[in-house]
Amino acid sequence: MIIRVFDPTHEMKAAGNKPAARPSSLQGKMVGFISNGKEGTKGYFAALERMLRDELGVGEIVWRTKSNYSAPADAYIVDEIRNWHAVVAGVGD
Amino acid sequence: MHASNKPALTSKPYDVEDFAAAQEFYHSNGWTDGLPIVPPTAAAVEACLEWAVMPPDQLIGIEPVRAQPITAEKLAINAVMAGCLPMHFPAVATAWQAMMKDEFLLHGTTSSTGGCAVLVILNGPIRREIGANSTFNALANSDRATAVIGRALRLALINLLDVRPGGIDRSTFGHPGKFSYCLAEDEEDTSWQPLSVVRGIPEGASAVTVMAAMAPRQIMNEWTTDPKEILETFAAEMRANQRHYSIYGGNYAIVIAKQLREPIEKAGWTKADIAEFVYERARVRRGEWADVGKGSIVRDRAGKIHTALASPDHLLVIAAGGPAGGFGAVIPPWMGSKTKAVTAAIGACVDCEPPKS
Repeated sequence: MIIRVFDPTHEMKAAGNKPAARPSSLQGKMVGFISNGKEGTKGYFAALERMLRDELGVGEIVWRTKSNYSAPADAYIVDEIRNWHAVVAGVGD
Repeated sequence: MHASNKPALTSKPYDVEDFAAAQEFYHSNGWTDGLPIVPPTAAAVEACLEWAVMPPDQLIGIEPVRAQPITAEKLAINAVMAGCLPMHFPAVATAWQAMMKDEFLLHGTTSSTGGCAVLVILNGPIRREIGANSTFNALANSDRATAVIGRALRLALINLLDVRPGGIDRSTFGHPGKFSYCLAEDEEDTSWQPLSVVRGIPEGASAVTVMAAMAPRQIMNEWTTDPKEILETFAAEMRANQRHYSIYGGNYAIVIAKQLREPIEKAGWTKADIAEFVYERARVRRGEWADVGKGSIVRDRAGKIHTALASPDHLLVIAAGGPAGGFGAVIPPWMGSKTKAVTAAIGACVDCEPPKS
């Protein structure tokens, strides 16, 4: 006997967002780090900063830390992103 | 067949050969928790909506981080899959409204590596109406109602917010409560106020409380009738959780079974008295972390006191459990105070505001 059933998911397509344009070079550029504030991110971002400065010539690194590691970045941090050429976010534990 | 005046369901329909084919279809699409589901037919879904007096497109809420709307129809489909009867659906819908309050931090609690589950506590007349059992085997497979309500929340998280293991759900470990985690308070066999009343819901109203909760830690103390000694065992378990899991304070729940409740009640202690005592006793020095292998993060703050509860009212005291046995349970929060337990009356709009003049 045929049973008609229904899709339990949200059935939403992806919102249509697309990645920001990638800079061709990071030489002299400003890069933001958004940390979730967990202990393990300190060493990771410190090493990444050295690499970006030494190997890719990044001009300035801006460190910002979320007030709650399990929530989206605070509004004032999101507002700052427009001033940066690139941002590193979403790094977990 | 749809009656002419009944709004049609708008979810995508699929025709499957039979019950077994439905199982394979839902499993293969990643739409289940691994257990068999009840096929969500139009009749079953519509019966849930009719019971709750909700049209299919009624907005239950919007998940605040991903701006994902949750409709009554989608929630009812998942509730049917979980095994809910129509009478269970209002509790599911209200729990979801509560989970979408900002203070619950739904995205954080469901995506964290520190895997927690959503604990649902039922209060009020609905417990009796749906046959929820508050006694034997509480916190597990005690009855149909709590089993399916808890499961419905998880299936809807999977399907409506993509909270699948390895997807949005990044839990390092989960716990069995992620299949279903629902408890009804034993209001008939205690002199204490129901949890919902303690948390501001009018007496006589049905309500749900949701809490982002770790697995229950069972305690035993059958060798005293002194309320302070009994509650010291609960506080000790909370201190152990602070030392071994997270030192930070949050909403803890303690579930006290009848054998331990009776002497506490007989001594005249209310839930407020219990919370006050536990607040004072459940605290550790940061330096204790060094005793359990976490000395590197004590730093120069060894003397700092961390309370398990920010204030006594952060403790959820619940009467439940079988009639015999000197047992209780401590249910720790997920990651301290980053999430707050939320209580909502069933049938009441938790986000309604007076019309603007």
